[in-house]
Amino acid sequence: MMTKKILLSFPQKSAGQPMAMELIKTYHLDFNILKAFIDDNIKGTLLLEIKGEEADIEAGIVFLRQNQIGVKDIQSVVEVDENKCVSCGACTAVCAVGALEMTADWSLVHHDDKCLECMLCVKACPMRAIHAVI
Amino acid sequence: MAKSYQEINEKIARGEAVVVTAEEVIGIVKERGVKEAAEYVDVVTTATFGPMCSSGAFLNFGHSDPPIRMGEITINGVEAYGGLAAVDTYLGATQPSKDRGIEYGGAHVIHDLIAGKEVHLVAKSQGTDCYPRTELDTWVKLEDLNEAYLFNPRNVYQNYNAAINGSSQRLYTYMGILQPNMGNITYSTAGELSPLLNDPLLKTIGMGTRIFFGGAQGHVSWMGTQFNTACPRDDKGYPQTPGATLALIGNMKEMDPKYIRGAVYEGYGASMFVGVGIPIPILNEEIMAFVAVENKDLYTNVIDYSVPKKAKPTLKKVSYAELRSGSVDINGKSIKTSPLSSLKMAREIAEELNNWIKKGDFFLQEPIQSFPMGNSLKGLEIKEGESR
Repeated sequence: MMTKKILLSFPQKSAGQPMAMELIKTYHLDFNILKAFIDDNIKGTLLLEIKGEEADIEAGIVFLRQNQIGVKDIQSVVEVDENKCVSCGACTAVCAVGALEMTADWSLVHHDDKCLECMLCVKACPMRAIHAVI
Repeated sequence: MAKSYQEINEKIARGEAVVVTAEEVIGIVKERGVKEAAEYVDVVTTATFGPMCSSGAFLNFGHSDPPIRMGEITINGVEAYGGLAAVDTYLGATQPSKDRGIEYGGAHVIHDLIAGKEVHLVAKSQGTDCYPRTELDTWVKLEDLNEAYLFNPRNVYQNYNAAINGSSQRLYTYMGILQPNMGNITYSTAGELSPLLNDPLLKTIGMGTRIFFGGAQGHVSWMGTQFNTACPRDDKGYPQTPGATLALIGNMKEMDPKYIRGAVYEGYGASMFVGVGIPIPILNEEIMAFVAVENKDLYTNVIDYSVPKKAKPTLKKVSYAELRSGSVDINGKSIKTSPLSSLKMAREIAEELNNWIKKGDFFLQEPIQSFPMGNSLKGLEIKEGESR
């Protein structure tokens, strides 16, 4: 068994179809919906944490892609652009769970497994080096 | 044994100067003592890389044909000052753009220019006999300009407050986001590596001092605004509150975009991260003793930024060693501390300046004038009445 976070993007024509159900029925996957929304262009986005056998997860992802659904592996809903980050530390001020912290040599480190997705770091970053994936 | 600027410069020219950073020197002084260390070390490099709002650039665009006397000027949508001569302007770092607001301000334009990007220049004028053109819309790069130099009226603060929020609302400040109910503390310093904390009485840093400025060799051009050498000090002379500041000047065409960056403080405004390195010549034992200072001996005040007054209450006096430890105890509660200026980049700058000096690419400039001590700050009185 393994657990994985994936971000699904549904094109306009797929929105409304019960694709995720197939993951349960055919591929025996458990999932947790972490975030879901449909934008103004009726494109859907779904952030799932899926649990199952590795081969089933891979087959499920292939199935989704065959149905024109974008699948992206996600570690965390925020990403730090290392080219923009200067390790000032302003983001660590608002990260209550220590997902963003300074190392002993004062570089910024991002422990993406600790992130609670409050998104305050996105606002706190003066370099705008942190962006939300969804 | 005292050394002169000239003697140190001769050693630099021969490639014999001993140059160390202000962090490295601490161990050397502990090991050898002040007297021996003062003879051994010639130059100590200090540096900082943090947000410095009072920054900006003088630009000269050259004349178009027919020429224009630029009045209203925008660069990438950011307004620049039109009150100088025809094609001169000053672009302030914190000026927000008309389309993107604080997300893209003067500092971002300055960064983009230094990075070699083309920027959109739009200017308007009433038109005059000598400058008939009334409108201009073009694209320029840094290399197209006649002159482009940063002239920052207030940089490298000698010490600064640490910030906390005693209210029940989250605050968006130039000291970053402050969580309610004393949720966090922010501070902005390079501490024992910071330029002006290593020369607390400005014995070697004055008008004309050559510096590392945004990757170029620049100069200290004047005392900075809000220059407060009359600040409270400890018995050795180190400021306990914001003290001296410097006005800096340097050629943008020689700068590196890595060291000059646009910044955004949510709910506050645009600012600029400025990389500055200042060499301190070890002329005598007194100066060596000053640069040996450690974070545990440098203090600042934790100030409550939720009080909307000029005089904000001080909650605690703390050392930079305590702030760097990750938490500070206030009224029995452990409160998380976070930096706002990049020590990592400051270290890189101190090393870079160190390399320049060792390679003989950078020589010390003795100040042509020292700055006044005992200079205090004035406030602004709001006077009643419409006419006087």
